[in-house]
Amino acid sequence: MDAIISFANAVFQPIIDLGAAPMMVIILTIIAMCFKVKFTDALMGGLKLGIALTGISAIINILTSAFGDAMTAFVSSTGIQLTITDLGWAPLATITWGSPYTLFFLMIMVIVDAVMIVLDKTNTIDVDVFDIWHLAFVGLACMYFGANLIVATLLVVFIGVLKIINSDLMKPTFTDLLDAPEANPMTTTHMNYMMNPVIMVFNKFFDKFLPWLDKYDFDAAKLNSKIGFWGSKFAIGIYLGIFVGLLGHQDIKSICTLALTAAVCLELFSLIGSWFISAIEPLSQGITNFANSKLQGRTLNVGLDWPFLAGRAEIWAAANVLAPIMLLESLVLPGNGLLPLGGIIAMGLTPALLVVTRGKMIRMIVIGAIVLPVFLWAGTLVAPFVTETAIQVGAFPSSVAAGTLISDTTMEGPIEKFLAFLVGNASTGQITFMIYALLALVAYLLIFLWYRREMQKRNAEYVKEGKCHPDKLVTGKFCDVPVPETVPEGAPEGAAASEGSTE
Amino acid sequence: MIKILAACGAGVNSSHQIKDALEKEMKARGYNVSCDAVMIKDITEGMLAHYDIFAQIAKTDLGFEVKIPVVDAGPILYRMPAMAKPVYDAVEKVIKDNGLS
Repeated sequence: MDAIISFANAVFQPIIDLGAAPMMVIILTIIAMCFKVKFTDALMGGLKLGIALTGISAIINILTSAFGDAMTAFVSSTGIQLTITDLGWAPLATITWGSPYTLFFLMIMVIVDAVMIVLDKTNTIDVDVFDIWHLAFVGLACMYFGANLIVATLLVVFIGVLKIINSDLMKPTFTDLLDAPEANPMTTTHMNYMMNPVIMVFNKFFDKFLPWLDKYDFDAAKLNSKIGFWGSKFAIGIYLGIFVGLLGHQDIKSICTLALTAAVCLELFSLIGSWFISAIEPLSQGITNFANSKLQGRTLNVGLDWPFLAGRAEIWAAANVLAPIMLLESLVLPGNGLLPLGGIIAMGLTPALLVVTRGKMIRMIVIGAIVLPVFLWAGTLVAPFVTETAIQVGAFPSSVAAGTLISDTTMEGPIEKFLAFLVGNASTGQITFMIYALLALVAYLLIFLWYRREMQKRNAEYVKEGKCHPDKLVTGKFCDVPVPETVPEGAPEGAAASEGSTE
Repeated sequence: MIKILAACGAGVNSSHQIKDALEKEMKARGYNVSCDAVMIKDITEGMLAHYDIFAQIAKTDLGFEVKIPVVDAGPILYRMPAMAKPVYDAVEKVIKDNGLS
């Protein structure tokens, strides 16, 4: 064993010593080549990843340097302890992808998805390789809080399986919302839709007690059109720079600098995020080609990134309305340390709100306002982990004062971050955390199973309306709720065989 | 130069996949194409007026009438040549029908 460890150290230590960015250039290039990606494409991807890691570090440096003094003054003048810098999703994605464990979790989930497909437990092939970082983030956080790699992997697989099942459950709703033909294979495995079960609870409350509110819904597209560029990333950066500057009693010159710096950084985060996605592209294509070659002849849904739903104006109308609400909530929420900045556009939440409510704007806004604190608390909880990981992968500037934390206000999967926290701490042997972790995992599973049942009922209704077919639903086992009376001719046996009603 | 606008949720992932694929394929077909990728929420009527084609991921309600040709480019995201080809063909047809160059 010592010889093996010595050999591994001899081979890998020099690579690790190069630093995170060069190390990831090498690792990504090699892994892409393992999926038969051409060397030049694999190397291009690896180099782009190294560039993205380096670039994001530079932008974080600009943002934190500019806001450091102002935030200190903001805290002293207002007494509000919002000292964690909200970078939004792009830097966090890059930081997460800077860890080699993310590639490990990707490999695990590729295997899990393949096994589920072969066993007919899902109908979805997940090609959204990039967004595995959300799940990897949970695994990495779990390890940060005390778990070993095995426990973290089990948690990742547990959530990952539910995520894939959820993509099957949502497929008919996507078809409905997009007014797409049923043959359209578009679905998503994105983690933001794991908020669906919680949102479904509130949506049921609306169904039971406040259905009359729906008649006051408004035209989301017209609202977005009227808002125009005033809701854009750079405009929000300007507002927040002015907001922090004014409350931090900065002079006019400093306020202008803060506003423009924030605007620049919010734009650049997205720009550099695109380099990063471009870096992963050869590997994504390699994995898709590999999967397709092994699954010839079977028609599958294709799990994509969530934005194919972004054409629905309700997502943005809700995000625009929820942004100032979240800002106000952040100021008064006990236990919150984040002032919304990079993540103020709640993309981690509004797509799930759309799917569950099916575009009822008032429900989206009210439920969104209710659950946003969960995102703020989760972001606060993981800030030390994000900061430490950023330092490890070289994405955090050494010039920034020690103790300055970074995170994201609306990162996908807030509940999963609490699970990571509980499971991680439970792994250290603390009895209290073991009990809490067990209770949390059971509750998480139970609410998902309840949600699954509700979605099955919805899908059965879609069948009755002729918007999808039971054979499609039965494959992948995402609709074992009965479809009585209106089951089309030729539907497979068992489609309408179980008990219960469709509503 | 033919200008295409692709859009997605963050203007980062899906829209950039579409941008890269369209630029590569249209260049291979002999067209001089430049594609920009933006957040859907940032699209305005004035912005679209500067483009020749809007390559949307899925049916999109922008709150105003889109006056340029629209192509559903979502199938490019499946990463399967057979599904992407009809999108490229549709873009090429728009280019030819509208005499773009």
